[in-house]
This record gives sequence, structure tokens and C-alpha cells, in this order.
Amino acid sequence: MMKKHLIALVAITIAAPSLAQAPVQPRGNGQGGGIQREVTFPAIASAAWSGPRTADGQPDVAGFWSNTISNHSNFTDPQAGPPGEPSKQAKLPRDQRAPSRVSDPADGQIPYLPAARALQEDFARNFSNPVKPRYVEPLARCAPAGVPKSYMWHGFEIRQYPGKILFWFDSGWRIIHLDTVAPLDERIKLWNGESHGHWEGNTLVVHVTNANGKALFGRYGDFMSENASVEERYIFQPDGQRFNYVATFTDPTIYSRPWTATIPVRRFTTADKPDGWHFDVHPVNLPGKPLKYEHDERICAENNGGFGGGAVGVPSESAVIAR
Amino acid sequence: MTRARSLASITLAVALLAGAFAPASAAPARKAQASQPAAAIPRRADGHPDFSGIWQTLSEADYDLEPHAGRRDAPPGPGVVEGGAIPYLPTALEHRKRNFAVRGKEDPRQRCFVLGVPRGVYYPAPFEILQRDEDLTLVHQFGNQVRVVHTDGSLHPAESGKDLWLGDSRGRWEGDTLVVDVTDFNEETWLDRSGNFHSEQLHVLERWSFLDKDTIRYRATIDDPKVFSRPWTIEVLLNRRRETNFRLIEDYCYTLEYADHYPHKDGQ
Repeated sequence: MMKKHLIALVAITIAAPSLAQAPVQPRGNGQGGGIQREVTFPAIASAAWSGPRTADGQPDVAGFWSNTISNHSNFTDPQAGPPGEPSKQAKLPRDQRAPSRVSDPADGQIPYLPAARALQEDFARNFSNPVKPRYVEPLARCAPAGVPKSYMWHGFEIRQYPGKILFWFDSGWRIIHLDTVAPLDERIKLWNGESHGHWEGNTLVVHVTNANGKALFGRYGDFMSENASVEERYIFQPDGQRFNYVATFTDPTIYSRPWTATIPVRRFTTADKPDGWHFDVHPVNLPGKPLKYEHDERICAENNGGFGGGAVGVPSESAVIAR
Repeated sequence: MTRARSLASITLAVALLAGAFAPASAAPARKAQASQPAAAIPRRADGHPDFSGIWQTLSEADYDLEPHAGRRDAPPGPGVVEGGAIPYLPTALEHRKRNFAVRGKEDPRQRCFVLGVPRGVYYPAPFEILQRDEDLTLVHQFGNQVRVVHTDGSLHPAESGKDLWLGDSRGRWEGDTLVVDVTDFNEETWLDRSGNFHSEQLHVLERWSFLDKDTIRYRATIDDPKVFSRPWTIEVLLNRRRETNFRLIEDYCYTLEYADHYPHKDGQ
């Protein structure tokens, strides 16, 4: 039987708002309700950790977290909107929007080599009318968001265990090995890559390899290749309420020099109002006990959930695997 | 169907209440411990069994839960259903026969969809259990499946009808056995590759216990008044993956259909 080419069909329907999953709600007082849009955020210095620790001695950072400036619409001008769909803030002077996520180099631009820049720009030009499958932002097809997009999309949960940290995203999961398990063979390329980390005071340092480069960084098509390595530093504020994700990308095949991204993230707690974006939770049914929240399963491909602009989810109607 | 679901919730609530008033659950735990060598199974600081690790069945359950000879798409298997046969209602049996006929193209597994409960447990791919006092998180290598089994004394959400792929899992300890009540399913998943199925009225009661330190005895009682004439039970063993440096390798296989288009490629 001929395989259906749903992808091309679906890719053409674009008019959907760029945050198909985000309920449109008025912005609250920083308590969720759509995308939080901080214009500035604090720097956090690497230092010793004096806060609570898990039983195995890690800084205890378990809980619900979300970025504070925007989604993946635009990597270098986070509040200006996706290609072809400028936000209201896009008209404001640049310093009235959050800075580029590229914190080094100082010009806020990813230092692509010319051929790589051309590929990124070609994607951005075609994003709003994706006539080929390659122009559909992969998260819109329910692909894992990967590094670093997972940290600028929906809220996520951190769970800690002896020797391991689980990041649980709406679009998949990622295990950080703090233990001594040997790295994967470099021939195995993955959406989320391979992650080995350790704690340095208040900072979780993670070395990422084996990324397949397919996840892209968002709707402008920014990317790394499968040759990249990433040094992530999750630097937690002393009160445990925020962290800055500071990641240095090295990939001589597409960048002229290593560069660094910074993404601000804050903790969500029972003091916040649940919403469909940062803090998609509901109260645990625990009669007589203090309020506690939990997150339901978030299944994408299977129920045709639209996970972003450019397309709705693309469920397969025929076999994808033969195993 | 709503009625069945509320009945299930009430049953669970009663069971939990009974647990609350029964002698402290630590007592049976100690007793069970005393009847075995002390180091027999891994335990947490609170004395409960520690199921942390990477597990996988060696059984043929996923090919067909019922006894079957070898066929083109399945190795032979003795079956894992107590009593041998799944007690289908007559109309459901017709549906199952139809599923069997189209299994080669309609098994949701072939699209890398969430396998559901209990299928994800005996699907022949590893899954990792990450355990805390308040929950166990089951991270399956296959697809995008993360299930949390809550052991914080919480009840199923008051609101049902979420129609979850993995259901809502609330666990409690009975001595060294983790008993998990799973409800609020959708009807999208199959129970195996041979087309055994369920409706949204599926209710699963799982019992997880150690056979020895590297083997879990997994039992699941499966009820679905729309599909089966009575509850029925399966048992499979789960083996610890003990290869040096063994770990999960993400397998978001539903992306294989389009992965070749990235980054910035025309694919095939």
C-alpha cells in the first residue's frame, strides 16, 4: 500500500496562532497565564550551595520550572515573534525586549559559517509557508525539542535520583548521568544527545554529545549539527527559585567559534496559578494534606496535538517501524 | 461507563482506607524480610523494596498474551494468562479476531505510539524505574512514555474522563508488594501484537514484587466490563538489565518518518 504523504499536506496549514497549545489568557501578575515576558533577568554567579540537599547530597532542585522570557519563536530576539509574524513588542526599541539568547558573542548573533547561515536563513524565509517537509519546525511534528529548545518551550519538571537527574518535558525526557556509566558510542546520534554531568557548588555542569542536530532551536531554524558538543551550566540561585541555563556550543563544521546561550528559568510552586504553558498541573487528590500539584501525561503524535506553529501534529497513519 | 469508573474509584478508596486502619504496613514488611535472607532484595532507607534499575521481560507476552504456536510474525509462547484464555465477551471476541487479521498494519506499536498499561511493561524493550519515597517514575525506552506511580497516599483525581494513554496510577505497599491501581484510560492502545484489546473502561491492578534481587514478578489483573466477562490475570517476570554500562537509549521512533529532513535537508 502506498504510504500517505500526510506531512506535506499538513505542513501547508499554517494560519494557526503560533502557540497552538497555549490557552490565550490575559497575563497575570507574573503568575503564569500565557508566556511570561521578562525583559531583564538577574545574572547568577557560580558559587557554593547552601540550600537543601537530596539524600545523596545533590543540591535539591526538584520541581516544576519554566523559562521567563518567551518561547522558541525567535532565538536571538526572543520577544519579537516568529518569522513573518512580528509580535506587538517587535515595534518597541530593542532594549525594551528581552536580550538575545546569544550572550556571547556580544552582538547576540550565532557565529555561523556562511553555508550554515544560508541554511538557517532559508528555513526562516520558508517557515510561514513550508512547501517542503524540511521547513516544518520539528516540534510541530511532536519531535523532542532537544538541546537547548527544551528549556524555552513549555514548563518542565526536574526529578533527582542518586546518580541521575531526569528532565521531564512535554515533548520527551532526558536523563543526565551523574554516575560513571560510560558514554555512548559517538555513532549513536539522538534528539536529546548524551548527557554526563556533575555538580560544582550551585551549578550543574553537563557535557552533551551525540546530538543528532535535528531538533533545531526554534522557528528561525537556528541549529547545530551532529558534530556539536555542548557544555551546559545550570546555575541555581541561592534561594533555589531561579536558575540560568548557560550553554556553550562548539561545532567547527557550522560555527566560526564557540558561542554561548543564556536562558533564564524560574521555579513554579503552589504560589503560582496553574496555566497551560509554564505550569500545566492540577492539584493532587490528597484529602487533608497541603496543596500539591502534579502534571498529567502529555502525549503528542498519537492524539494529533498541535505542538507549535507551522503545522499541527502529524500522526502517522501507517507503520513507521518494522520491529 | 462512568458508573464503572466511579465504582473502581470507590473500591480503591475503600482499599486505601482499609490500609490506613490496618496494622502499620511496616510490620508485614519486616515479617516478609525476616522470612527471606536479609540481603535478598534491594531496599530503600524506609524499608520498602527498591525497584530502581532497568528492566525488561524475556517473555513472549507482547507477541500474544495467550498460548500460541510459532507463526510468521511471532515466536511460540506458552502464554501468560492465568487459565490460558482471555475471557472475552462474544462481540468483543469478534473484534479481537478482526484485530488479529489486521495486526500487521494496525498495531499502534508500528507507529511508535504509547503502548499503554500493562503492555509497556512486557513490551520487549528496556524501561527504567526511578524511585523516590513519594513515587516511582517508569521511563520507557520505546517512544515517549513516562508513567508516574504515586506512592504518596494520593487518590485518583476526583475528576475522571481524562482518557489517558497510560492511565492514572496510584500505588500502595502491601508488605513487600507494590500494588498499583490504574484507571482513566483511553481505548487507543492494544494489549499485544496479536490484537488483544480493551476499551476506555479498562481497569488494571498491578502487583510488583521481587522474585530475587534481579527479577521482578509482575502481575496484573485486567478488568473491562465492556470487553471481558470477568477480570483476568497475567504474570510475567522482568529481568534486570545487568550488562556493563547498560542504559536507556532514547527511541522516539515516531520521528523516523520525518527525521531525515533535519537539519535543513531534503531527506529521502
